[in-house]
Amino acid sequence: MEKEAIVQIQNLSKKIGDKTIIDHLTFDIYQGEVFGFLGPNGAGKTTTIRMLVGLMAITEGEVYINGVSLKKDFENAIKHVGGIVENPEMYKFLTGYQNLLHYARMVKGITKERINEVIQIVGLDKRIHDKVQTYSLGMRQRLGLAQAMLHSPKLLILDEPTNGLDPAGIRELRDYLRKIAREDNIAILVSSHLLSEMEQMCDRIGIIQHGKLIDVKMVDEFMEQQGELSVHFQIEANKNQKEITINDMSTITIMPNQKVVELRMQKEEIPDYTTQMVLAGVKIYGIRSTSTLEDRFLEVTGGNEIG
Amino acid sequence: MVSIIALIQNENMKIYRRIGTIVMIGLLLLAVIATGIIQKYVIKENATDWRTAIQAETTNFKTNLEKNPNLPTALQRHYEKQIQINEYRLEHNVQPIENSTIPGFMNTTANLVSIITLFTVIVAAGSVASEFYWGTIKLLLIRPVTRSKILLAKYLSTIIFALLLLSILFLSSLLVGGILFGLENADVPYLAYVDGHVEEVSLVTHILTLYGYSGIELIMMATFAFMISAVFRSSSLAIGLTIFLLFTGVQVVQLLSKYSWAKFILFANTNLAVYQDGVPIVEGMTLSFSIGMLILYYLLFVSLAWGIFNKRDITA
Ligand SMILES: Nc1ncnc2c1ncn2[C@@H]1O[C@H](COP(=O)(O)OP(=O)(O)O)[C@@H](O)[C@H]1O
Ligand SMILES: [Mg+2]
Repeated sequence: MEKEAIVQIQNLSKKIGDKTIIDHLTFDIYQGEVFGFLGPNGAGKTTTIRMLVGLMAITEGEVYINGVSLKKDFENAIKHVGGIVENPEMYKFLTGYQNLLHYARMVKGITKERINEVIQIVGLDKRIHDKVQTYSLGMRQRLGLAQAMLHSPKLLILDEPTNGLDPAGIRELRDYLRKIAREDNIAILVSSHLLSEMEQMCDRIGIIQHGKLIDVKMVDEFMEQQGELSVHFQIEANKNQKEITINDMSTITIMPNQKVVELRMQKEEIPDYTTQMVLAGVKIYGIRSTSTLEDRFLEVTGGNEIG
Repeated sequence: MVSIIALIQNENMKIYRRIGTIVMIGLLLLAVIATGIIQKYVIKENATDWRTAIQAETTNFKTNLEKNPNLPTALQRHYEKQIQINEYRLEHNVQPIENSTIPGFMNTTANLVSIITLFTVIVAAGSVASEFYWGTIKLLLIRPVTRSKILLAKYLSTIIFALLLLSILFLSSLLVGGILFGLENADVPYLAYVDGHVEEVSLVTHILTLYGYSGIELIMMATFAFMISAVFRSSSLAIGLTIFLLFTGVQVVQLLSKYSWAKFILFANTNLAVYQDGVPIVEGMTLSFSIGMLILYYLLFVSLAWGIFNKRDITA
């Protein structure tokens, strides 16, 4: 199937005062894909999203949603977009249903049936007529998702949607997003500062830092990229210190009673290390290589600048 | 295009589903009932014949005018007007409106429009600022509706709130007055002083005129509060500033009334009743001047509110 860009972002920039917060972002988001927008806190994810939904003026550049310019024809561009910016803040003194009714009235053609359907989808049917002030954070997230989905958008934008969710909630959200992307052919933009969540949720990831887009890649590509892995061996050594030669280039030293060896190496080197350690009489109980995007991410964004 | 009616329904839902609003309506009803009870059971009217009282008053005013030729013009005009009305009463046998009758009662409760002004200012001040405070502005403005239209719906729903409260005041005064004082004196005319002569006006016309004059101040102050709320996103600032001006504005104009530029101050123009029943604060002001000033101020408030709200980056 031909992939169609539902969002085209061209040279999008934001200046506040003389500070450039977003610096010439250019990327497309396609139908049916989950696009991860990844970057440490303060990188500019929320600012980009605010421009995409019309909360902030675009200083420079263009955004086309379904081919319509957001700057020139806001109403026709934004009607294809549903979203949550930061936390899903709702009218607490209204019921969940009244909140949905409120947003339903703001788009033409949303029926009562559609409202009920969305309530079913997010699983809020039991509590929908209770006041939002009695909802848990998870329920508010669901209600937030419901208001974003009401008008069957072509693009769903979620800013850090996993904030405040427990692991089960995150898994559920991930499965749901993957499902609607696949089944309803919706394009989804999710931002996060946590890589581990993104690699399971997204098809493609764009990394942003200091307002600049550093890299856009398919998740698989990302993971296959050459690079050092961090490998964790759980061992039991003998009483005396040992120097073990792995190959021409490396040797390791294992101290008496050492329980853990943690090393950075290429993927191909893992068998060598294992073999040589076994031959040297080290008992190996477990090997774990923690190279996922997390390390790539820290590499790309320059380590511990998060925060 | 989404209809403005749907947006007003939304705003109404946000106004009337809040406890605060219900409390305001309750307080207004309570004030009407309390006024009625006080007028019926607490205040005693003097039992003397109204003709004697009126004659005494007229004589008093006349001697005052003769003895003090240097009285302020405003006071002189007031005396002259009152003398004419009194003479009309005696000549045509029109009894003054007493507090313990339904016209008197409704005349008194018309003062409660100032409470409605206060309540409307509170609603107007919260209309935009609360959305920022709650964070809901981020979900409100990402819909296929222009900001102008959303702001218009907010403004109109505020005005509708004021009209609702005015109707509640009128109807509850009629009901409470009818129950406490009966409807017997409802046809006693009110004597208005128009263009230097006395005219008989029906009760309903008179009360609605009173509401109308206070309503102008209400609209101006609510629009002002709405503008402050849209520009500064703070409801406490909007309420505080508006109420401060409401209480001090007229006094300040009075202090400055010897300077002719004082007539350009909003509060020199908000009370249009002076052109029917009294004397303008600054000499030489006319009704059309005041209406013109009010329109100018109104346009200023509205263009500031819409101009800034439409442009602003939402960072809440
Ligand atoms: N209104 C503003 N004025 C000035 N700087 C801002 C404003 N809003 C955000 N910023 C700055 O822009 C940068 C990006 O912020 P943000 O988009 O919230 O990042 P993220 O969502 O990726 O954590 C931050 O450095 C922040 O300090
Ligand atoms: Mg953010």
